Amino acid sequence: MADRVLDVNAYTTFTLLDGELAGHGWRTDAPAVLNVTTGGDDEVVLELELDNTATDDVPSHADRVALSPGEARDLAAELESYAGRAED
Amino acid sequence: MPTDVERWKDEVYGEEIRGHLFEFAEAGWDAIPDEEHDAWFERFKWWGLYHQRKGQESYFMLRIGTPNGVLEPGQLETVAEVADEYARGPADNPEFGAAYCDWTTRQSIQLHWITLEDVPDIFETLEAAGLSTKQACGDSWRNIVGCPVAGKDTHEHVDAWPVAEELHETFKGDDDYANLPRKWKVSVTGCDQGCGQGDINDLAFEPAERDGELGFNVRLGGGLARKEPRFARDVDVWVPEEKVTDVAAAATELFDDYGDRENRYNARMKFLVDEWGAEKVRSVLQEEYVDWELESAGDDLREQYTYNAGGDEHGDHVGVHQQPDGNYYVGLNVLVGRMGVDDVAELAALADEYGSGEVRLTQRQNVVVTDVPEATLDDFLAEPLLENYSPDPHPFMRGSIACTGTEYCSLSIVETKNRQVRYARWLKDNVDVPEGVTDFHVHLSGCTASCAQPQIADVSLRGMKTRKDGEPVEALDVGLGGGLGEHPRFADWVEMRVPADEVPGYIRNLLEAYVAEREERDVPEDRRQRDGDAVEYETFREFVARRDEDALQGLADPEETSYEDPYMHNTKTTWYPYADEDDLDASPAPTDGSGEPLSVDD
Repeated sequence: MADRVLDVNAYTTFTLLDGELAGHGWRTDAPAVLNVTTGGDDEVVLELELDNTATDDVPSHADRVALSPGEARDLAAELESYAGRAED
Repeated sequence: MPTDVERWKDEVYGEEIRGHLFEFAEAGWDAIPDEEHDAWFERFKWWGLYHQRKGQESYFMLRIGTPNGVLEPGQLETVAEVADEYARGPADNPEFGAAYCDWTTRQSIQLHWITLEDVPDIFETLEAAGLSTKQACGDSWRNIVGCPVAGKDTHEHVDAWPVAEELHETFKGDDDYANLPRKWKVSVTGCDQGCGQGDINDLAFEPAERDGELGFNVRLGGGLARKEPRFARDVDVWVPEEKVTDVAAAATELFDDYGDRENRYNARMKFLVDEWGAEKVRSVLQEEYVDWELESAGDDLREQYTYNAGGDEHGDHVGVHQQPDGNYYVGLNVLVGRMGVDDVAELAALADEYGSGEVRLTQRQNVVVTDVPEATLDDFLAEPLLENYSPDPHPFMRGSIACTGTEYCSLSIVETKNRQVRYARWLKDNVDVPEGVTDFHVHLSGCTASCAQPQIADVSLRGMKTRKDGEPVEALDVGLGGGLGEHPRFADWVEMRVPADEVPGYIRNLLEAYVAEREERDVPEDRRQRDGDAVEYETFREFVARRDEDALQGLADPEETSYEDPYMHNTKTTWYPYADEDDLDASPAPTDGSGEPLSVDD
């Protein structure tokens, strides 16, 4: 189904990333939306949606994880660290 | 935990914002502390001012709320004067020039490049003409919409204009209703065509008869925004005309008390109706908010609705139509709802010369000149202005709607208005209109906020990004087959991330598939007399509705054509998409009240 689950606007963190859906024995490339936002109760929410037109293997959906501020900072530090490695 | 917006509203909101606004206007843009920008910009919305997007700091969009789209004699002239004097920015738009007015899908007016320093003078000028920006935006009663020819329509059962006026006068500026959990959109319609678009409003009054008396049925919880479109739900309530304001107050208070102030995403009425169901909404309304017995819904007129119902329609009001008093109203097509300021002034003069001076705005971004006598109708229709704003436009011009887009809007991710102008012209020049099609709606919205109401169009376009030849480019998601009418239907989303320059080719291919595969059917006998044909084609909307997702996706492919799109680059990252030097670094903003750049360190 071509209807998106996530809102997409100029505040969306990334509107066009290269993504991959993977299951046991299958993989499919798909463009992706990745967004960071705030949730309730002092949460940071990370949400990801891969374009559903790329596959029939899973129904249209988005995935969300809630992070505490500390976890969000840990993630940011990891990203920073791996970004450095990727550049090396 | 209250949201930031709720905290800001608790501190200062409603009428009192005006004093602060005027103080900032006196002291100048840079008197607003940087750390308070978000709070003040949120509050300024209540007075109709939206801060423009990144790269355009210190400039505002100003929205004038015209209830039911009615501009009384003399008011359009004032709007043109204000636009001419104050809505000129540091760069011109290549299609529309240096100053222009936008007619919106909620029958309001938007001007751009407004500076804070000019706001007191603008307010004084508007208010002297009986116009206001109050509550045009923000968390309160927004501009009340309805049939734009209320009181002047032969299709009318109840004259809804006095009702809309009373709601406007009651709820604009009343502190009790000034700070709601979220925006509150209301529609009032008295005609049998459904052109008030009640189905997509938080609160809708639609004509209905009960025990021989004409009044209104009440619907609640419609809206298109974000990824959760809803049609307003029937709550089984009928009200006589004299009780409309009381029921509107009751529904607003219910929303005020039970709307979710802790999560702005959930704060709209549609989610409360989702959660409770229509039956509970009715019982809470009855038990807690009214002191008389609510009557159950009356017989509505929905089966007669033609507005955006997929077939021939009168409901968009374009064209020449006789009023009950024998005069005529003339609906003029305004491509994407934008008119250069000289044309606006000319329109105001023509309305004065040929009509009563009144002009009305429609929810399809068009204008209506009312009260033209038969004796001068032909002269009016021969006026040169009507060559560009036609009462008999080409279907692709007639059906085009676009939101503000990256030109000014903080939310949009693609350019919209100028692109939609180019789409309409290319389609007109290169694609045959299928036989029998008089209306074909293409709505372009720059993001999921849905200001162009894409879900209720034949072809729905929504801003996205994709990669083409290795480069990121502006793209559109595509939906098909949405509309209103007796049985409203949201578009089925069919394609994702179509490069913007391949959309016209997609639409051409789509219409070719429609022509090749559409079914014929017998015309009902009672309609045969009108056009004499015994068979007709299914509408595009019906054609879409009877196909499943796979069939829809197989209908047509995007394709490059002779269409050229100058806005494929990431216009969101420019300071102004049409500037010769469009990099953010080239922006003159922020500027002082006279347009001189301010140092960002000031």
